[in-house]
Amino acid sequence: MSRRAGRASLLLAAAALAAGCGSTAPQAGTSASAPQPPSLSTSLVTATGTWAVAVLGGSAAQHNNFWQLFVRPAATGTWRLATPPGVASNGGLVMASLGAGSVVAAFRPSQDLSYSPLATTHNNGSAWTPGLLDAGLANVPDALAATPGGGHLLALLADGQAELSGPSGTAWTRLATHRALAAAAAGRRCGLGRLTAAAFTAAGVPLLAADCTRPGTAGIFAHAGGTWHLAGPALPSPYAHQIVTVLRLTTAGGTTTALLAAGTGPAARLLAAWSTDGGARWALSPPLPLHGAKLTSASPGPGGTMAVVQNESYAATVAAGGSWRPLPKLPPGTATLAPGPAGGWDALAVHGSKLAIWRLAPGGSSWAATQTINVPVQFGSSG
Amino acid sequence: MPGMNSGVNVNDPTVIAAFKSALFHQGIIALLIFAVLGLAWLTVRAWWPAAETGEQTGPGVQPAAAPAEPTWRQLLRVGFGLIWVFDGVLQAQPKMAIGLPSQVIEPTAASSPRWVQDVVNWAGTNWSYHPMQAGAAAVWIQVGIGLWMLTAVRGRWSQLAGLASVAWGLVVWAFGESFGGIFAPGLTWLFGAPGAVLIYCVAGGLIALPERWWHSPLIGRGILGGTGLFLLGMAVLQAWPGRGFWQGGSHRQPGTLAGMTSDMAQTPQPGSLAGWVRAFTSFDEAHGFAVNLFVVVALVLIGGAFLSGRRRLIRPALIAFTVLCLADWVLIEDFGFFGGLGTDPNSMIPFILLALAGYLALSPAPATAPAQATAPEPATGPAPAATPGLAAAAATAPAWRDRVKPASVRRSVATASFSTVVSVSALGLIILGAAPMAAAQASPNADPILAEAISGSAAPLNFPAQPFTLTDQHGRTVSLASLRGKVVLLTFLDPVCTTDCPLIAQEFRQAGQLLGTNSRNVELVAIVANPIYHQIAYTQAFDRQEYLTKVPNWLYLTGSVPQLQQVWKNYGIAAEILPAGSMIGHPDIAFVITPAGRVREELDTDPGPGTTATKSSFAVLLANAARSAMGRS
Repeated sequence: MSRRAGRASLLLAAAALAAGCGSTAPQAGTSASAPQPPSLSTSLVTATGTWAVAVLGGSAAQHNNFWQLFVRPAATGTWRLATPPGVASNGGLVMASLGAGSVVAAFRPSQDLSYSPLATTHNNGSAWTPGLLDAGLANVPDALAATPGGGHLLALLADGQAELSGPSGTAWTRLATHRALAAAAAGRRCGLGRLTAAAFTAAGVPLLAADCTRPGTAGIFAHAGGTWHLAGPALPSPYAHQIVTVLRLTTAGGTTTALLAAGTGPAARLLAAWSTDGGARWALSPPLPLHGAKLTSASPGPGGTMAVVQNESYAATVAAGGSWRPLPKLPPGTATLAPGPAGGWDALAVHGSKLAIWRLAPGGSSWAATQTINVPVQFGSSG
Repeated sequence: MPGMNSGVNVNDPTVIAAFKSALFHQGIIALLIFAVLGLAWLTVRAWWPAAETGEQTGPGVQPAAAPAEPTWRQLLRVGFGLIWVFDGVLQAQPKMAIGLPSQVIEPTAASSPRWVQDVVNWAGTNWSYHPMQAGAAAVWIQVGIGLWMLTAVRGRWSQLAGLASVAWGLVVWAFGESFGGIFAPGLTWLFGAPGAVLIYCVAGGLIALPERWWHSPLIGRGILGGTGLFLLGMAVLQAWPGRGFWQGGSHRQPGTLAGMTSDMAQTPQPGSLAGWVRAFTSFDEAHGFAVNLFVVVALVLIGGAFLSGRRRLIRPALIAFTVLCLADWVLIEDFGFFGGLGTDPNSMIPFILLALAGYLALSPAPATAPAQATAPEPATGPAPAATPGLAAAAATAPAWRDRVKPASVRRSVATASFSTVVSVSALGLIILGAAPMAAAQASPNADPILAEAISGSAAPLNFPAQPFTLTDQHGRTVSLASLRGKVVLLTFLDPVCTTDCPLIAQEFRQAGQLLGTNSRNVELVAIVANPIYHQIAYTQAFDRQEYLTKVPNWLYLTGSVPQLQQVWKNYGIAAEILPAGSMIGHPDIAFVITPAGRVREELDTDPGPGTTATKSSFAVLLANAARSAMGRS
């Protein structure tokens, strides 16, 4: 090699090296992913009122955004702030109905708090009784469930375990671990992924929901006779080769409702499923294509109704055994939907520390602003 | 980043006063070092005249011929010596002791890979544990190296100065500059790649070369060839698509270069300078492609010319390079040290010095120097092998045992040159900075000044502690009277608090560990500060969360709401229920109660940012307070 050629080679090598040093690594292949469970923003209907949870604050600093509970007492059209006091709610709030109008709320861990204080109300949030789950609740809207009579609680934890409380919501014991469930026959048939929801059947049987890595399998597990068995709906053949994710799982009024996602990426579709016999038989809705939209909220309503919000802009509802019906374009900032006072829907829209309530009458074609709540968010109170 | 003191007020007057005081006192010691060594030198010279020591001085007496220090080396030695001194002065900025980790090191590492952040965080945490010593050490080490390089003209002392520059430069480059950002995605020559201090290292290495290399043409070709290669590599990087340099801006967002300069323009500095940078930013936003094309072409042409080794190409390239560097220094690097906490003038001036030195080194030079104004250093300086006279001297140089004999030492001191004395003093300056830092590093505990900076000094008190009777985390009844005979560190914690309380509990736990066997005489007591979540189940959950269940002298007390309210009232605690998902508002406070039951101190325990350093600092403060209370009534 001539001296000039050698110099040129050296130059090229150095240039390539320098270019390599500074260039960014290529992104990993963005394979289409299954839809994630929606945010904690949701609603809950009890005998004495309708509840909703949303995060307010609008701060870039996550610890300055606080999750709030709102309640609209039955037979009224007015919402009010009902967040239980005494604990910072910036990690998230999860609620479950205890029956007879009682509600339990759980604070998700945040910052240096690693466990989940609980608060129970029997009077639509006028007074709260403290409780304790000495573990961190998972970041999904169905992380907490109560037996229809309200005696036992079932908690899905951030570390993948499930704990069951004693009759009065205390004395928690471990019901399942992710590892044990994955090793069980039902878990192996599903190819257990992450756990996504906890619920009880109308008869009080604990249910856990999960992603299944085995296509065509809906990962809903019932705990009966000391073992876990698959209790999810059998999906028809068009879904046989699709990954199925359980996004929501709730029981109200004797009906267990599941919100499923079949497929991944832009091809993912939502399905609602209903069972009135503890998961032996299921009715399945037609699919609702997501077209790549993000599911930002899902709210169960009475009689197995389910309302979903996509990209905070578009919504659709489905009633038990029925088909998806689109709602008019949502008001800006809509965090979640909640059943309205006369069979319609309320959209809870968040603007910083202000909550705007928009109402859609049954069969209506437009949303009407009905109420604004200024929430006294304590910015800076958590660090 | 943990451990970086983020959130500690860099303008805190306590810290600034302490840092200034440390620098002032060490400055006096530095002056004493210079004075004592100077006096000793003058005294020895006066007592032992040159004739007795064998020194040949005076008009008409020529020292042994030695190769003159070439201009290129002189330029590097003086240039980088001055830069080190300047950097040392910048390190003396009052905010530097606290601010360097959080405002210089942490942002520099922010875009680097995780492992770089871990390495840098380790260093930042070490600095944060002892900010006064670390801040002062950086000042004296850098000023010392600078003076050393400036005054040690030749010989072993000069080589050692070069090596010291390399060694400290590598430390600064790795830990202070996050390896010059070479692992970060936005790497560009325009913003100082590969890190200014790495150029100091190169210069130091060249200064450390033995004298027989001084007139080798390889030096100039090596410097310019290496610089040329580097510039070509940087040109490729600058031209690489997808890095945002070809766009001045898109979708109302500035491109990579305009974004950088836009940020620079916002830092505090004289308005005219900010105006220039803003003007360049606007120009780049409008003509981003052209600007980048110009930079790429310029780097390629200059790099190619440097690499060619042809003087007729190198000379104009050097002029162009100097102009380009100066333009970059003013318009893009914003002089490097304005705004925030500048630690150096960035890379462009070092680049100019290095390239100019390379050019000068191409020129042939005389093999020997004309008569020197100052004497060579027979005892301490090396003997250049290429010089027959000195080689002979080296051949007859005494063994090291002979050198440490009093007569030999006396002769060495008497014959030492002024520059040698200043060099030794500069070494003393480096030791003056490094020794306290090394001693401080031996302690695993942080300087309590961090805690004082966050919470202020403790208020001395002396009144009887208000009694209380509550229930501990095990369900046992505990009264203050039952703790008589022990020091009580008393605080108020919310068991479901998300921020300060867990940190304060950790500080109490660490304080107990620091007390060692004395902890038997100290009770670490917390009282619940939440009127809603106050049941024993919460104190137990909190203890498990904070790993306090096995701390034998830890008591977390609670009671009924009326009981707690009475205690809060007695100790001036307001536990306020705040709305809208906020945690309970209560003061962060600790009382130091003597074995006789008297409150002697009230400490503000607001933990600030809660870094490992600040937690350790508070723990030291609490342990010191407990020790102080042990012997008091």
